[in-house]
Amino acid sequence: MINWAQVFFNSAITGSLYLIGAVGLTLTYGLSRFPNFAHAEFITLGAYIGYLVAEQLGLGLPSALVVAFSVTGIVGVLCYCGILQPLARGGASIIHLMVASIALGFIFRHSIGALWTWKPLYFTAAWSAFDIGPLRISGLWVGLIFAALVLSLAMHFLLMNTKIGKAIRASASNPELALASGINVDRVVWITWFIGAGLAAVAGIFRGADTQIWPMTGWDIILPIFAVAILGGIGNFYGSIVAAFIIGLAENIGVVGLIALGFSTTYRIGIAFLILIITLIVRPQGLAMLFRRA
Amino acid sequence: MDPLLYVFDLIVFIGIFSIVSLSLNLEFGFAGLANFGKVAFFLIGAYTYALLSQVGVPFYLCLVAGALISAIFGLVISLPALRLREDYLAIAILAFGEILRLIVKSEDWLAGGDWGVTVSPAISLVGASHRVDALINIALVYLCLFICFLVVQLLTNSPYGRVVRAIREDEVAAEALGKDKSKYKAQALMLGSAMTGIAGGLYAQYLQCVLPGMFMPMITFTVWIMVLLGGPANNWGALLGACLVEIFDRGTNIAKDYLTLPIDPSNLQYILFGALIIVVLLYRPQGLLKETQVRTKAMEMVRRGRSAVRNKGS
Repeated sequence: MINWAQVFFNSAITGSLYLIGAVGLTLTYGLSRFPNFAHAEFITLGAYIGYLVAEQLGLGLPSALVVAFSVTGIVGVLCYCGILQPLARGGASIIHLMVASIALGFIFRHSIGALWTWKPLYFTAAWSAFDIGPLRISGLWVGLIFAALVLSLAMHFLLMNTKIGKAIRASASNPELALASGINVDRVVWITWFIGAGLAAVAGIFRGADTQIWPMTGWDIILPIFAVAILGGIGNFYGSIVAAFIIGLAENIGVVGLIALGFSTTYRIGIAFLILIITLIVRPQGLAMLFRRA
Repeated sequence: MDPLLYVFDLIVFIGIFSIVSLSLNLEFGFAGLANFGKVAFFLIGAYTYALLSQVGVPFYLCLVAGALISAIFGLVISLPALRLREDYLAIAILAFGEILRLIVKSEDWLAGGDWGVTVSPAISLVGASHRVDALINIALVYLCLFICFLVVQLLTNSPYGRVVRAIREDEVAAEALGKDKSKYKAQALMLGSAMTGIAGGLYAQYLQCVLPGMFMPMITFTVWIMVLLGGPANNWGALLGACLVEIFDRGTNIAKDYLTLPIDPSNLQYILFGALIIVVLLYRPQGLLKETQVRTKAMEMVRRGRSAVRNKGS
């Protein structure tokens, strides 16, 4: 007997995690026009900074989230200003930018490995689990879904009602026109990289608290996150909300299917890869047409 | 460990990775394709070799089969993927490689799953010492490398190679001249995959085992470093890059035993690799060896004409 309520709840958890991880990727991809593979390492870095603050300094999870968001955000801006932007200005092709972002990722991943070793770390905070009807729920998962909700509302408000949000949308759709209208496009890009890297750090902390922290934490989930960004339409925030939950559902229902068909559940992660490849081949613009305003 | 054997081992690795780096040079350097899934074709070659040699197929047929199956996969992927933008192509092939590794990892019946299978060496003489074995491997690997190098070098300096370069520089202009860009790109990807397949087979028989853990995305990026460092669109550059990266790799491994560094050398190695790539991209994007100019009769006549004019003027 399959507990469908649990399957849907798990889909919401997976979707929330991917959404928080993907927002930064999709916005920076749309604005800077290349996929930043070092986004994976922003996730990892966030998880480790969270661990440092919450466990090694003992300041608790809320302050860990704040510190990880700000520090990783600053790291993200520095990466862009220091390396990727000069490269792009120097006429590097999109392939060179991708390779450079992978190289940056290497530097981060192995620096983290050198600082904290490659042994997995665990958050020690115990999450009280409780049952509601057939559902098994833990405080962490509720927090994760709540965080995704808050993020969605905050981003919606930011993009639609604030000056900077409008500037982000304008710069993404037409940088020259945005520049001509007096928008400081550079500053807009920096702010987007700050927010994007910071949100990646938040995703990293949740992922780390749910499973484990090791230098590959981010790389483990980067391809599903790419799948969300591409299925949602690159640079399209509303598309990625829908895409995150589609992929969350596909993964969790897929696991049920895999077990029923007698396949190994390690294929779980392959489901997202498959969606990624099919989207790229069939409909590379993703779901963007559904949300023309954004 | 026998120091001579260590050197032989290094030479074999340089040979195998030179083949892969040559093939990426064909795909990226000449055709401009961002193949971020080189390891997938490497894996196909290695597993084909492992599975066929288990049922007693002779080694040269195993290598050829690995190349063929790899080429077929290259073609199948290229059919839909070449219509994609270059960044989408890169992400799609990267995901393909990860799916392939997942499959060999979870299907225990195929090739031992996580534990892999042992592979018998291509040529094993009775009673041969390790040194002789290594020398046989060097001969085999460098024979394959020589053939691959000859093919790529002749191909890229032929009219065919000029069309491929023209498509890389300006797709629209090349299409306006009646060149089918998808066809040329698919052929480049197929040939590159076939060469990578051979390298995979050689790798499997040299290490005498295949495991999913041998085919991490790291391999792909090591090969990218080789090509970018040596010089894209220069075949000698691809060889030079493979030599330098492999020697650097060994160097840091030796340093691990003799130096006490504040950080673990295996981490330091990748940090340096990453920094190296960024420095190369920032300050010398053409790599150590530049792309050589196309030489044709017409170009030479133009050049001669120019110098003649200059001589008359002086």
